[in-house]
Amino acid sequence: MNTELSDEAAEYGRTAQRAMESAGGDDLVQRAEREPDRRESLVGPVLAELGAWDLDPRGSADELEAAAALCRAAGWWALPYPVAERLARPVGGSAEGGWGPDGAGPDGAISMDGLIVVSAVGPAGPVAGLDRRWAAVGLDGRRFRAAPRPAAEPPRRSAFVTELDLEPLDGGPLDLEPLDGGPFAVKGTGGGRADAALGLVLSDWTLLGSLDRAIALTRAYVLEREQFGQPLARFQSVQFQLTDAEVERAGLEELAKYALWSIAIGLDEALDDALALRLAAIEAAETVFRVAHQLHGALGFCDEATLSWISRYSQPRRRLPVGRSATQDLLARSLGRRGLTGPFSEVWA
Amino acid sequence: MGGVGAMTSSVADLDDLRATVRAWCRANIPAGWRAAQTGVPDEQYVAFQQEWFQQLRSAGYAVPHWPAEWGGGMSAAEQIVLYQELAAHDAPRLVLAFVSIHHAASTLLAAGTDEQRKRHLPAILDGEIWVQGFSEPEAGSDLASLRTTARAEGESFVVNGQKLWASGARYADWCLLLARTDPDAPKRRGISYFLMDMRTPGIDVRPIRNAVGESHFCEIFLNDVVIPAANLIGPRDAGWRVAQETLGAERGMTMLELAERLGNAGFRWLVEACSRPGPGGTRPIDDALVQDRLAALETEIVGLQALCRGLVERHDAGTVGPAEASIVKLYYSELLQRVMDFGVEIAGLAAHTQLTKAQSSGWESGAWVLDFIGSWEWTIPGGTSEIQRTIIGERGLGLPREPVAGG
Repeated sequence: MNTELSDEAAEYGRTAQRAMESAGGDDLVQRAEREPDRRESLVGPVLAELGAWDLDPRGSADELEAAAALCRAAGWWALPYPVAERLARPVGGSAEGGWGPDGAGPDGAISMDGLIVVSAVGPAGPVAGLDRRWAAVGLDGRRFRAAPRPAAEPPRRSAFVTELDLEPLDGGPLDLEPLDGGPFAVKGTGGGRADAALGLVLSDWTLLGSLDRAIALTRAYVLEREQFGQPLARFQSVQFQLTDAEVERAGLEELAKYALWSIAIGLDEALDDALALRLAAIEAAETVFRVAHQLHGALGFCDEATLSWISRYSQPRRRLPVGRSATQDLLARSLGRRGLTGPFSEVWA
Repeated sequence: MGGVGAMTSSVADLDDLRATVRAWCRANIPAGWRAAQTGVPDEQYVAFQQEWFQQLRSAGYAVPHWPAEWGGGMSAAEQIVLYQELAAHDAPRLVLAFVSIHHAASTLLAAGTDEQRKRHLPAILDGEIWVQGFSEPEAGSDLASLRTTARAEGESFVVNGQKLWASGARYADWCLLLARTDPDAPKRRGISYFLMDMRTPGIDVRPIRNAVGESHFCEIFLNDVVIPAANLIGPRDAGWRVAQETLGAERGMTMLELAERLGNAGFRWLVEACSRPGPGGTRPIDDALVQDRLAALETEIVGLQALCRGLVERHDAGTVGPAEASIVKLYYSELLQRVMDFGVEIAGLAAHTQLTKAQSSGWESGAWVLDFIGSWEWTIPGGTSEIQRTIIGERGLGLPREPVAGG
């Protein structure tokens, strides 16, 4: 088992990060917030130039890794665009079936531009104001056609999240009632469990990029900011907080690679691995942003600080499709007494 | 000595006070103030705060912690009863007057001249608003390295510099200002403490927008601002000591109200949120894990309330320890974050659509996401958690001082 990204994917990620910097970097999200109608035109060109929409993450492990690296770069800049959702778009007539013919256009070809992983309750995604056709998949694998409602709040408050109207694609009525006696159910009958795994994992790679950035910004700040005649970084209590945050981030990175590998080789439990990653991502984000804000002081809450933007726009990725408790509940129900397979299962199998 | 007699208040006296406050709350707290104060322009918020302050004042509830001769005189036990009832009846908070009735008043009472007290304490009761001008761009945690200068010129001082994070400076009439009067002295010895009239020419206040879109933080630019020498508080060049003595304990004292609010408003709402059926039809409170979390939080809140009460009583008796205020501030701020974090978790995604909260509400307003983000602020101002831990370690436990650069 090798969970490291290929050299090509890693290089593609670095190229993407630089290209996004050239296209405006931190300014992109600020401009998109001021002019929400322009966000597609602000970031569309650089993504097209990077060949983002030629990637087929469902097609090969290499392209899946490149997609993950691209999402991570998008998270670094809090790129104001649902890159993960676009990359997770369904493929028509795939072996798994389910996306066609219901999801297909009149000519039989698939016509969805992206896929949003949703909760059955309060489905929403960071897709406000984009003229795109969206599919959605529940955490139980049920598939939907998703119509974003007009944004109820400006992006300053909503971070481009908007509610979705869902229409079932797998047939049968839209059932929003809880299954299995719990608030959600993973063991649904829908065929989209692999879609859900892919959508979750790419979203978490985006969040990972935001955590990379939060650590980098905080490291730079405590090295530069002097109080009591020395950089804050000289105080061991400051060092320890930052190291605790970095340990969380590094652990998340390893899990993110593992969950990606699990999808790439088509493990049955890829959704379990994605949920485990999701839980780790939510928890790591809490630690990393708490430390980053504490060490930035009041400045970290102001528009002048890049951290404030990264932190605000990380919120949808931390709260959607469901938050910590619900993720924990889903994972526990899914695993039962079985446990995760994990990377070294052959040792004790 | 306002508090001392009252400290012996009998249980029956406290019950009487509670009944009186409760009746007053029912008659006087404006119905529907939350809705009326949500999304209002600043002028309406300021007007509402002033009006509410005067209502509390006429009942004798605005400054219960002041000495009786100035309009207060309640014991710690009586204040607790008052704050409990105000919180339980969802009274608006005195946000605008917070610095005036706490920091400004305690500074005037502890270090001001008779003239200064007579000039300002009654004015504060009439609605004079104060702001704290302490932090600077290069002087946050290391406040003593502040660079704003005050140069003596005849009977005045001429002030130049920049202050940062001055909450509410836009509405302030007066400012508690720290400025350097002796640039050659060791950094803590050359600072003086001034009362600065915010209408003086040369003062420019600029708001700073924060993550939740509010602008209560401000920058204050000071350009040849003339302050009469009579507005020096405490001796010249002794400003650092005066500020430490008057504000350290005061920071702890303000917690009495906040602790009772957390217990009687914030926690109560948390329990209510847990009692509402979720999307699946079940109530979080029926879950054993949720019950455990609530019980743990309530235990902590009761502990906080006890700490605050002890602090106020020992402050009145003059036996307060050097680290007690820091312990209370550290404990409250981190506990507030834990309570709000759990509130966000329980309220779920629906909470993320509630993106406005009523002005004049407390740190806990029931808009869980905004309250949670707001709670993050608490471990930074008034001495970060790192500074509080340093104080507890050095002054409370007598541990060695942290090595400072350059010896």
